[in-house]
Amino acid sequence: MLKLWKLERKTGEATVAYPFAPLPVNKDMRGKPVHDAAACVACAACAVACPADAIWMSVDPDAETITWNINYGRCIFCGRCEESCPFEAIRLSQEFELAVTSKADLHDQAVYKIQECSVCGRPFAPRKEVDLARRVLDQVVGSAAAWQRDVLDVCPACRRRLDAQRAKASCDAANAAVLLEAIERDAAQAGGADAAGATDAADGGTSAEGVR
Amino acid sequence: MAEPLDMTERVLPAGLQYQPTPIQLDEKVKAAKAALATSIRRSVYAYRCDLGGCNGCEIEIFGSITPVFDTERFGVKVVPSPRQADVLIYTGAVTRAMRMPGIRAFQAAPDPKIVISYGACGCTGGIFYDNYCVWGGTDKIVPVDVYIPGCPPSPAQTVYGFAVALGLLDQKLHATTDVEKDGEEAPVLHPGVPYRLRVALERTARQMAGYRYGRDLVNEFMDVLEGARYDVMGAVDEFIRRCDDPRRREIFVALRQVVDASVVGDVNDGRR
Ligand code: SF4
Ligand code: SF4
Ligand code: SF4
Repeated sequence: MLKLWKLERKTGEATVAYPFAPLPVNKDMRGKPVHDAAACVACAACAVACPADAIWMSVDPDAETITWNINYGRCIFCGRCEESCPFEAIRLSQEFELAVTSKADLHDQAVYKIQECSVCGRPFAPRKEVDLARRVLDQVVGSAAAWQRDVLDVCPACRRRLDAQRAKASCDAANAAVLLEAIERDAAQAGGADAAGATDAADGGTSAEGVR
Repeated sequence: MAEPLDMTERVLPAGLQYQPTPIQLDEKVKAAKAALATSIRRSVYAYRCDLGGCNGCEIEIFGSITPVFDTERFGVKVVPSPRQADVLIYTGAVTRAMRMPGIRAFQAAPDPKIVISYGACGCTGGIFYDNYCVWGGTDKIVPVDVYIPGCPPSPAQTVYGFAVALGLLDQKLHATTDVEKDGEEAPVLHPGVPYRLRVALERTARQMAGYRYGRDLVNEFMDVLEGARYDVMGAVDEFIRRCDDPRRREIFVALRQVVDASVVGDVNDGRR
């Protein structure tokens, strides 16, 4: 009996005091995913990554808003959302006291505005995402980044059209340069050797034709 | 375009998943239950009913009756028959095969009784919610009083859930809706570090330590880069020297090499 008491004293109290005292938890515990609505840009990376579809986006085309939703009742606390979030807007916390009596309380949402295309006026991407992309591109040097910055608030369809126009313009410019060069060369040859005239002029004509 | 969405959860189009009609409580039972919630002064007996879970939840339920969490302190006892039960704990996503046993357990337990939906599966169907052979949550077949999310809920979560079910503690979670404010801007993280270097550092850290811990480490490292006013490399070396965990040190050394390479690249070809 004495031995048992001694053993008991050595072992101490195994039972935790919770819920009468806070439970000490690991700092990397995977508890409730906490969403920082101000840092989120509604990019939907977490919604794509979430294996249980606990996070999803819903778009309201009339109000031109995109809504980030989470259902903690479906979440499996895997941490994929925090891994995939590029802007650290969602992180699994140490909060574990999640039991509720009404299911609606398991649901959180955040509503974001959608940017309208500056060319066609149709909404196409979350406003905050476009805005953040602009500030990131400001840090990047190079002509590709400059072009991207120019078409940042243009929707993909209009951007394709602008790209095509830009390509056509540069082709036209190159063609015009070639044409100009050919004409100058012809003129130089015509000035230099008038006697050889007829055949050279015909050549110049065909090359100009070909370019056109 | 998008299918209509339920306010609180994503639901499948009706054609893809059958939606059963849940059992309704009659008024007398509801009144008795309300009385029970305020006047319960004795130990409650819980019956555990697995409707097609993976048994992770069962392990945690048994984890909460072990000496460490010891729910029997509060008189919560797991019993082997629904006929003795005051509380029914439903785990699992309610598979077709287990629907009838679930309903029979509900009918066998004497009224008034408390029904707990346990785990992500019990709450909404969890990761199996869109499976063809599940009904997606306990509340599709019986009326539920308390939802305990988690996959599986830890014993502490279970203890808390029981406290909520017995009216000892209040629930902490409440539905929220955040609306974007005018001119709200998401911050660019670590703006002091050039963009391409930032990407290279993040990539290296994540390759070595995974996404979460890699991000924590690279954040620490970039804080040092941004904090240094003159001698950046000196500050980094000092930081690495002070780091006594060899695993962290190895990653920081690799990150230092990334910075080195980018500085040399800068000198050589004028690119960042
Ligand atoms: S922790 Fe996993 S299941 Fe939960 S919201 Fe994040 S990605 Fe989805
Ligand atoms: S990944 Fe991050 S920024 Fe993108 S929608 Fe999710 S929480 Fe918001
Ligand atoms: S909630 Fe998770 S642990 Fe519990 S039965 Fe479902 S899959 Fe298993």
